[in-house]
Amino acid sequence: MSQIETTATFTKPGTLSIQNVSKQFESDDQEVSALAKINLTINPGEFVIFVGPSGCGKSTLLNMIAGFERPSEGTILLDGKQVTKPHNDRLMMFQEHALFPWMNVIDNISYGLRWKFRFNWKKRKQRARELLSMVHLEQFEKASVHQLSGGMKQRVALARALAPDPKILLVDEPFPALDALTRQKLYGDLQELFTRTGKTIVSVTHDTREAACLGDRVVIFSGRPGRIIKEIAVNLPRPRDFNDPEVGRISESIMAELQHEK
Amino acid sequence: MKQKAPILDKLYVALFYLVLIGGWQLFFSFGKIPDYIFPSPAQVAVRLYEIAREGLLWPSLKATLYRMGAGYSIALSIGLAIGLLMGVSHIAHKCAKSLFLGLQTLPTAAWVPISLLIFGLSDKGIYFVIIMSAMPSVAIATADGILQIPPIYIRAARTLGTPAYAMPYRIVLPAALPQIITGVKLGWTLGWHGAVSAELIKSSVGLGYLLYMGRELNDSPQVIAIMVVTILFGLLLDQFVFGVVELKIRKRWGLEKERSE
Repeated sequence: MSQIETTATFTKPGTLSIQNVSKQFESDDQEVSALAKINLTINPGEFVIFVGPSGCGKSTLLNMIAGFERPSEGTILLDGKQVTKPHNDRLMMFQEHALFPWMNVIDNISYGLRWKFRFNWKKRKQRARELLSMVHLEQFEKASVHQLSGGMKQRVALARALAPDPKILLVDEPFPALDALTRQKLYGDLQELFTRTGKTIVSVTHDTREAACLGDRVVIFSGRPGRIIKEIAVNLPRPRDFNDPEVGRISESIMAELQHEK
Repeated sequence: MKQKAPILDKLYVALFYLVLIGGWQLFFSFGKIPDYIFPSPAQVAVRLYEIAREGLLWPSLKATLYRMGAGYSIALSIGLAIGLLMGVSHIAHKCAKSLFLGLQTLPTAAWVPISLLIFGLSDKGIYFVIIMSAMPSVAIATADGILQIPPIYIRAARTLGTPAYAMPYRIVLPAALPQIITGVKLGWTLGWHGAVSAELIKSSVGLGYLLYMGRELNDSPQVIAIMVVTILFGLLLDQFVFGVVELKIRKRWGLEKERSE
């Protein structure tokens, strides 16, 4: 496992409080209930994973935390402040890398710094370089986005999301479009960065093994309308190996809960 | 597979033009058309040399290029601004799109009579023709480019903290750039048409004026020589100014395969 050598500093992570949150969608004159009465507190520095069947509203909840959507009822608070719109306190990483193709790698990473710190150009570049070395891509500083492999793009996206020092990092289905080997490497990177930065991370997946490998706490959702049916704490030491039998055992118990619900 | 040597390509192109000019000369030699109507390539070349020596060509070329530089800059700014508005406002798009598509079907020369009525024989009328010819295609390409931006870029920009005022110039315009540059190229060509058309009637200097003068004097070698110059400079700017910018953008985005050098 590679050693992290970086001077980048990060501030304290945030506490997220989800209170009585429900969400309904209008579709063809019909009201569809996506989420029902969610109550959840996510502690500073905790890695929480939402797991559930497709359409259970777990991605909707993540979008509401990011501020892309508003709850129909209830409130979401970050450090006591209500979430109403997107903000770089709560930075989202998407399924697709979503890197800007008109910028090179280093400009992508430094982009968010412009709106966060009163940094001049030189300091922005310095911090972006530190983040780039955290994901071990120093030699690709000036590369165009399309020149990177899929896994490298996601690592740049990760560095870009961490650069503005968010209180909480949101990860929507990390790395679904990548091959198994690259994914497992990224699980390692993500855990490494989690340990290093101490960030609060919330991630969504339908892969139970991924949930067991990454999460401190796995929150299991029922089918639509989504409710929390169980929370499982994962107390395995980090970094965890995706193929560790202990991870497999917890993955099975998550799977059992999901099947039980059906 | 490696691409065929570019030198060989250039050789074929040179050969093509040699055959073309040779054909022209043959047609001239065996045809029964009098040379004051249909001159030979040599006559055209000689006339072009004469116009240049007499000091007629350069001031006119400069005048047309200057008018295009100024007129097209204005067309570009207006087109981008309107296109941006159309790209972000659904209503503006619905209203303006049909108008601009309509304006685009209008031949650029058709702007000349109205510019004469409004501006008389002044130079302003030429700028007017250039702007009206070039602006619609820039606006349409900008609007279309913006509407085709993948929503994920906008979401990423918002979560990264981009304030609303910075969205257009930091995200929206750059993201639409590959499509916008296509419109910029097309706009340039149409503006060039407009400039020369307007100069035919309204000017005492310019490529269009030299064409007009050639016709007045029954000087067909001059007419063809100026046509060649007009084509050459239109093409040169298209290829070496906008073409280079376009290629650079497409390479950055990975839309163009980078050749191994």
